[in-house]
Amino acid sequence: MSTDTTAGLPQAEPPEATIRGIVARGVRRTFGDVVAVDSMDLEAPAGQVTALVGPNGSGKTTLLLVLASLLVPDAGTVRIAGFDPVTQSREVRRRVGWMPDVFGTWETLTCREVLRTVADAYYVPPATARTRIDELLTMIHLDDLADRPTQVLSRGQKQRLGLARALVHDPAVLLLDEPASGLDPRSRVELRTIVRRLAAAGKAVLVSSHVLSELDEMADRAVIVAQGRTLSTEQLTEHVTQTRPWRVRALDQAALIRALQARSLSFALPETATERDGVEVAIASDTEAAALLADLVREGVPVLSFQPAAGALEQAYLSLTSLSGDRR
Amino acid sequence: MTTQVLDSRSGESADAVAGRERFWAGVLTVARLELRQRVRSSRWVAVLVVWTALLALLTVLIRWSVFKAYSVSEQTGVELTRAHADAGRSVFGIVVFLVLSLGALVVPALSSTSVNGDRSAGILATLQTTLLTPLQIVIGKLAAAWTVALALLGCALPFILWAFFEGGTPVGRLVVGLVVLALILLVICAIGLGWSAIASRTSSSALLTYLSVAFLGLGLPLLFALSVPLVSQDEQVTVRNFQYNDDGTTGQCVTETQQLSVFHSERSWWLLAPSPYVVVADAAPRPAGVDSTSDPLSAIRAGVREARLGPDPIQDWCGPGATGGDPSSAATAREQQRAKDRERLGYTWPYGLAVDLAVGGGFAAVAVRRLRSPARRLPRGTRVA
Repeated sequence: MSTDTTAGLPQAEPPEATIRGIVARGVRRTFGDVVAVDSMDLEAPAGQVTALVGPNGSGKTTLLLVLASLLVPDAGTVRIAGFDPVTQSREVRRRVGWMPDVFGTWETLTCREVLRTVADAYYVPPATARTRIDELLTMIHLDDLADRPTQVLSRGQKQRLGLARALVHDPAVLLLDEPASGLDPRSRVELRTIVRRLAAAGKAVLVSSHVLSELDEMADRAVIVAQGRTLSTEQLTEHVTQTRPWRVRALDQAALIRALQARSLSFALPETATERDGVEVAIASDTEAAALLADLVREGVPVLSFQPAAGALEQAYLSLTSLSGDRR
Repeated sequence: MTTQVLDSRSGESADAVAGRERFWAGVLTVARLELRQRVRSSRWVAVLVVWTALLALLTVLIRWSVFKAYSVSEQTGVELTRAHADAGRSVFGIVVFLVLSLGALVVPALSSTSVNGDRSAGILATLQTTLLTPLQIVIGKLAAAWTVALALLGCALPFILWAFFEGGTPVGRLVVGLVVLALILLVICAIGLGWSAIASRTSSSALLTYLSVAFLGLGLPLLFALSVPLVSQDEQVTVRNFQYNDDGTTGQCVTETQQLSVFHSERSWWLLAPSPYVVVADAAPRPAGVDSTSDPLSAIRAGVREARLGPDPIQDWCGPGATGGDPSSAATAREQQRAKDRERLGYTWPYGLAVDLAVGGGFAAVAVRRLRSPARRLPRGTRVA
């Protein structure tokens, strides 16, 4: 696991992908005497999905508002696709799609009218807008509700409409604030697919969320924040080289335990241990985990499943936020 | 050097022309959104129907009672024509004031929750992050509110016209009166929009809008009345007074000088001018050259002009009756002179309307400032999104 703390961020010219994405350094924003964002650093390169993770009230939404050119930061610099949201807000807005956490909508407008209005507000040519809106409505599965007022939509459907709204003007940078909240499992899977596809199309995607397991599958990188500060930036796609718990299940748990004891590996039964839960084994690296699995299979232990006890992101998040002792 | 494509007709750059088209396209987007969002949601059709029915009822009642008061049915010949015209103008005046007063009650509902309502519903930021500028958003919202206000005025038009044609006054000035009425409604919309951008709660902004409109309409005339002691002073005044002879029945007018408290209304009349009632009354149509005080609008008009003239340098207490009702007497001549002076003053409403429009413009400018983003400061107790 590569953990470069904020102090160690390279100060040299950022690479091309970063220039087309988001760069924020030392961002600070207060409301009166409440420090919402103390000092945050963040990079979200183009073509990647960057997760913004942190406890409630850690300043994620405020940071996104700064990035979306709605708030002026008290200090620090922000570049969205190379432009400053404070002095070049027009250029930034042209390139940013923002999906707010509290999704308000024009209740009496139909889904199509909502998207059409937003397209007009971005001066998307009518012909382009029409085809694009049809595509988006299909993508979020709201075709059949397209001409119904948005007040009939469920929370999850509104959330999906919010995503479509952020995409109407084909932005290069996407800011998604808690996009998965209120979505049913199927919509979550679809959201993941959509987000991955957008990243593959070269867009910089920044997603804030609490649902860590989901971000783990969706994101390439994670920026972990707490108390208004950036704690660390994690590369989620790289191999893990630190000790972490793995959960191993076998048809014959006794045989599994014997095999582990023979290797003098430290293991534990989960607190609410049943046969089904298997055992938790601390393994030093992904390479060793792979080797252990091969050995167990060779020795005839009937292994059913072999997986990290927690996602890489969850692991990093829990250890970092417990270190900072932050449970605001 | 970059060369710019110039529009052959105006000599403007093509960019500037495209930019202007975009500006109004954006305004239209906001206005359309507002109309769909608000008008659809709050059953404005029902409001319009109730409004029209209420005005119809009140107009009929007003016409009936005014014509009764002028005893029109008891007159004949020239007297009938005159009474009918006077009564017609009175009905017209009352109906116009009714439309203005009811409008001042209904119109703030259109705009006074426009910005803070959107903010609390979390839909303002959605517009702010688009390419629409604060100016476009404000003009669009204002245009939408004004459209509904004009619809209200349109529904009131049949009754205004009905009352108008019974007054037998020239049609040309009617258009001026209606335009002035429409502009006053626009000012009320702008005041509401301004407050909705200043106050964070919708209930406060609605209340502040009503108070502001009430201040313009009634508060200013009240201030004018309260200002009397401030602009009054003791002066030597030429007075024409009736002096009885020793027999106590005959006498004559004598001119003398007295120390009197004089109300210099010419120093405070500007407090009256911006009141929408004064503006509308002064701009309302009336028969040319007649300085009539026989209907409410003309009376207000004459009163405000009297205030602009200030005190008459010669106080005439003799009156026409005192000199035996001789029409060529000095008193009547004096009154005629004052009437001529009032006519010569010209209209008051352009001043008042200019002040009102400036107030409306000020509120709209505040709204534009408040909608600017990225924002440094937020209204207390609000979230951005």
